[in-house]
Amino acid sequence: MKKVLTVLVVSLAFFLGFVPGLTAQEGVTDTQIHIGQWGPQSGPAAPWGSVARGTGDYFKWINDTGGIHGRKIVYHMFDDGYNPAKTKAGVKELQEGTGIFAWVGGVGTSPGLAVRDYLMDKKIPWIGPSTGSLAWVSPPQKYLFGVYPLYFSEAKTLVKYAVEKMDKRRIAVIYLNDEYGKNGLRGAVEELAAHNMEVVAKVPVEKSDTDMKPHVMKLRKSKADMVLLWVTPGAGVRIVGTAKAMQFAPQFMSTSTLSDFPLMTHISKGLWEGVICATFGELTDGDDPGIAKYKREVFEKYASKEERFSLFYTAGIMFAEPLIEGLKNTGRDLTTEKFIGEMERIKGFKGIGSQVSYKPFDVNDIYSRQGSRQIFLVQCLAGGKAKPLTGWMKMD
Amino acid sequence: MVDFIQMVVSGIAVGSSYALMGLAMVIIYKTSEVPNFAQGEMALVSSFFAMMLLTTLNMPVYLAFFLALVFAVLLGCFLEFAILRRAKDPSILGMIVITIGIEMIIVGFVSWKFGAEQKTMPFPIGPYDSFMFGDIFISKLEVLTLVAATLLMGVLFSFFKYSKLGLAMKATQQNSTAAKIVGIRTNQILMMTWGISSMVGAVAGLLLSPVIMQPYMMWDPMLKGFAAAVMGGMTSLPGAVVAAYMLGIIENLFGGYISLEFKSVVAFVIIVIVLCFKPSGLFARHHVKKV
Repeated sequence: MKKVLTVLVVSLAFFLGFVPGLTAQEGVTDTQIHIGQWGPQSGPAAPWGSVARGTGDYFKWINDTGGIHGRKIVYHMFDDGYNPAKTKAGVKELQEGTGIFAWVGGVGTSPGLAVRDYLMDKKIPWIGPSTGSLAWVSPPQKYLFGVYPLYFSEAKTLVKYAVEKMDKRRIAVIYLNDEYGKNGLRGAVEELAAHNMEVVAKVPVEKSDTDMKPHVMKLRKSKADMVLLWVTPGAGVRIVGTAKAMQFAPQFMSTSTLSDFPLMTHISKGLWEGVICATFGELTDGDDPGIAKYKREVFEKYASKEERFSLFYTAGIMFAEPLIEGLKNTGRDLTTEKFIGEMERIKGFKGIGSQVSYKPFDVNDIYSRQGSRQIFLVQCLAGGKAKPLTGWMKMD
Repeated sequence: MVDFIQMVVSGIAVGSSYALMGLAMVIIYKTSEVPNFAQGEMALVSSFFAMMLLTTLNMPVYLAFFLALVFAVLLGCFLEFAILRRAKDPSILGMIVITIGIEMIIVGFVSWKFGAEQKTMPFPIGPYDSFMFGDIFISKLEVLTLVAATLLMGVLFSFFKYSKLGLAMKATQQNSTAAKIVGIRTNQILMMTWGISSMVGAVAGLLLSPVIMQPYMMWDPMLKGFAAAVMGGMTSLPGAVVAAYMLGIIENLFGGYISLEFKSVVAFVIIVIVLCFKPSGLFARHHVKKV
């Protein structure tokens, strides 16, 4: 009898292992939740590598303060070098080898695009891609929740501010010739059209360009009084510097990716002063209590001594905050579908970024999955300090 | 007309750093017939060495630069002695792969040691300080690079033409067995070649560092320098220099009048055209080996 019972139990366990729905949730055990992220720790985009490190330190803090409903987060971060082929290989390896419950962050539109369809086909949640591309939400994807404000909307807001508040009439756009840059260009063109205006110069920059003189000559020729920069930090500095050398002095405005003012001031040797940027998170040198708490309890305890408490480090926390909120709200019985349901119920969540709200999935409503719709504008002061020009503004 | 002149001036200015990298590659190729793809990263690590001296030891900039050039010479000698010389019966392809390996090791080391965040080198001349001639401008740093490149070219031409060591280097490239027979220590010559080449590349790296420093900063100048060296014929020092300036000017004119999108690839289109119609390059005078 005992033998028969043993055989029955073993057979049942074996059988249950093969029945969909009755298997254990992928990436979740009794004591662990496996979360993944890619981030460039080497290569040309390595300055944005602090995003993934910030998330890692945040998870260490979450674990040390009790975890989530009795489970600890096991964080799998890998260096993709901003290379989409490596992103895809790394994600597949972790997803199919280790089993990941959800992905968080992930720097770069092109790396993200390389894995979006794979993750969505497998119904793996992906929270807070670290870019504001329209590609994440147009059309919305059931398992993908945007946290980063859309570049397209950022550009519209910056142009609107330039036209309405600063009375700028000749607006030029210099943009990285990829999906990121084109999102910014599209937003600027659309907002100017709403004001019956046109972009006076559209100047593309390639990733490999280091000599910006031909680009700035085109801008100068257009007699622009505002130049919108949608490029990498290095290119941004070279453009502003070359413009200064050419005695061309429009108002420069730029995206949140160039709003790490201490870094930009340092690498531009002070030339970044006066540039106006959009920003998506509370200022690291401001008085926001959330920022102060993370600085004290996360950065000072867990960050390596080479790390800087920068915009991108805190962004790594900011992109992961809604994920943690969703996990907490789901409770002990953690499955993908329950988690998605709880994410959809997040309304007006405020961490160290703008308010985040989602809705039940609607393929015709990008805001069912684009959680953040607010930015504020800051101007760079001497020494890399930021002067807020507006409060949080809702974007179109 | 102002635009045209500005583009030509800008082309010459940017061509100087290509010329230095091109010269550095030609020097090694002249003696060993190996295109050294680690050239950019050898300059990179020397530049970061200068940065370290400046920021951690607070050395005066000229002393730090001088020590960085000494470091570059030693690094070049070390790489030849410790790695390339150890390769057993190496084919040209094998040597190229070794230089690519060295390139990857150095870039990994620099990323690990100095971090990936962008920096700038403290330097007495600001990266965007410029001279204005009416509406035409040229940055002071680029003028300095132009002067440095011209001086180095002069020194190198004289060195290869008139000095014993220069002639020994030429002999080693043309027939290393015969060179050995007449008493030239070809191993030492190769080592010195690597040292000199590394120093020339480091000058380019040091003069680019006041703008932006990051582990991949030498990739583009190295590729453009290589393009210039190929256009010039790989063994011709004046050829590499003239081709580098041509490349800088063509790039700027192409970007200004035709397309900014394809500005950075125009160099490689030119290489393909040159190699199709004049495979030995524009200025090479090839040594003919008798059978």
